[in-house]
Amino acid sequence: MITYAYYPGCVAQESGKELDNSVKFIANKLGVNLIPMPEASCCGGGVIDGFDKNLKLFINGRTLALAEKEGLDILTICNTCTLTLSEVNEELINNPRSLEKTNGYLAKIGLRYSGKVKVKHILYAVRDDIGFDKLKEKAVKSLKGLNIAPFYGCHILRPSSVVKFDDVENPRGFEELIKALGGEPVSYARRINCCGFQTILVNEATSTSLAGNAIYEAQQKNADVMVTPCPLCHLSLDTYQTVAAKSINQKLSLPILHLPQLIGIALGGDYAEMGFSRHNISLRSVMAKIRQNEI
Amino acid sequence: MEFRIRAYRFNPEADKKPYYKEYTVEDFPGMTVLNALMKVKAESDGTLSFRRSCRSAICGSCAMKINGITKLACKTQVGPEIDKFGIINVEPLANMPVIRDLIVDQENFFNKIKEIKPYLLGQREDEAYEAFHVLQEGEKINQPLYYKSEFQNLTGNNDTPNCILCECCYSECGGVVGNPKYLGPAALAKLYRYSEDPRDNDRNGSRLVNGSKPEGIWDCVHCQSCEEFCPKGISPVKSIVKLHEKAVKNSITFSAGSKHVVSIAKSIGETGRLDEIKVAFESGGITGLISDLPVAFGAGLKGKIPPLRHKLIKDMEDIRLAYKELDLEDKL
Repeated sequence: MITYAYYPGCVAQESGKELDNSVKFIANKLGVNLIPMPEASCCGGGVIDGFDKNLKLFINGRTLALAEKEGLDILTICNTCTLTLSEVNEELINNPRSLEKTNGYLAKIGLRYSGKVKVKHILYAVRDDIGFDKLKEKAVKSLKGLNIAPFYGCHILRPSSVVKFDDVENPRGFEELIKALGGEPVSYARRINCCGFQTILVNEATSTSLAGNAIYEAQQKNADVMVTPCPLCHLSLDTYQTVAAKSINQKLSLPILHLPQLIGIALGGDYAEMGFSRHNISLRSVMAKIRQNEI
Repeated sequence: MEFRIRAYRFNPEADKKPYYKEYTVEDFPGMTVLNALMKVKAESDGTLSFRRSCRSAICGSCAMKINGITKLACKTQVGPEIDKFGIINVEPLANMPVIRDLIVDQENFFNKIKEIKPYLLGQREDEAYEAFHVLQEGEKINQPLYYKSEFQNLTGNNDTPNCILCECCYSECGGVVGNPKYLGPAALAKLYRYSEDPRDNDRNGSRLVNGSKPEGIWDCVHCQSCEEFCPKGISPVKSIVKLHEKAVKNSITFSAGSKHVVSIAKSIGETGRLDEIKVAFESGGITGLISDLPVAFGAGLKGKIPPLRHKLIKDMEDIRLAYKELDLEDKL
């Protein structure tokens, strides 16, 4: 049985609980064991090094050391957590001074890190560890005919020197997963662009126009739904979609799913279980389209 | 092997709107996209317009979008692009108005570079004798002397001065897409480079204060594109984050962006978690909160309300110790 130290991040435990619930559901269906990390702290939301670089090393070094103590790799479900933990991991593996400094702190709390942990985002854990064949085998509901726009976001692709999951210029992992579930991936240029979340509380107009542009393009390409592997992108794309529409002065109405929700539905989860009612943009059209396959 | 080039064409004096034109080119081993464009211009269509000069990835003239990603045409080989995309799609740089075909208007970009004052400010008092003057007969030129460690501190990382102003980062920048007035990665990386220069006499912190104004360092969306697509291996985003850290350490925290970062650090220091409500309030203040009310209300209706009081993570004292070890308690 595949076992991971499960690092859901903050948003999936707070406003985005539907994501956490969906991950637990699909892990159960796919026979993946998720070990909770109640001691793990927030990764710093991708901006903590703007406060203090060493603080980023210490708190994330601690999270890595907690997983190493259990002999497990970390499973993440948020792009920004993935990048932050991966950046710190790279730094600690490649920079002996940073490792020594961090281990100095870790020694005081009874931990030590030696660089053995791998940080895996759920999208690529499904592709590389679980495999699409298993996904196909376990799927009970077809997503045939559903036009799904994958929105990668930034931090599972860039910088490719740190997050090395996919081809940064033309990633395919998400599309392959959608095809494995029987869905139709929508090809659009902004799938690898930024959702703007990092400045949503700083400069809302800048931030939401980025999400708006991506949604608008996917809508133009006849997407039925957009799917994102990151809860922060989900906040920009779903929760702020009405603001985004105003920012770019276009009509927007595109349902946005978390990736594990999409997988969960294919694996037989019901809509309530996947938290479909917790979205700002109604998912009724998506449910209707999936129902057509059942008739 | 023959391959296709699909080029963006637009002559504002003659065309109502942009269009694409395809050319077929015979390749040779190691052919670059610039070689191919020059071949098209020489043999098939002399009207195709693009900038180029050194052909050695040092002048930065031939930056353009190649199959959707901004690259230097002289540094990009045809073979791997064809393997991946089956065609060479060339378009002008994004975030800049088109003058003709693949040539863009760079004025805004260079105005932003000028805005950060890309030169050393003032003079150090102890170097007053080195002031510019007409040399007297027999007088030797005083060369400034740097210790090696000081010279490394010039940039914080060793690569920022290698910028060739090719605009690849600016074309890929998410911040500029969202706000055309945003200074952008190249200018802000330069701002960092000068703010770290031991010869720079910025006594009142004007670089950090000006950089912290709207459209400055805190408008970076952290999309990492500038680092990813810089043809010279520079990371403007890392320079920008170092400016953030420098601003916070110097208590230049009047901007929403700096309040946001301090608030996240504070939240983690208190509970080990990110308190969404508190961070939203502390970043945007009352006005931010009021403008976000409709969004918060909509999310609340769907049950997406974060907890008002957060449970501490297990072993919270470990996190408190990290703050203590780093002497950060007074910054919270």
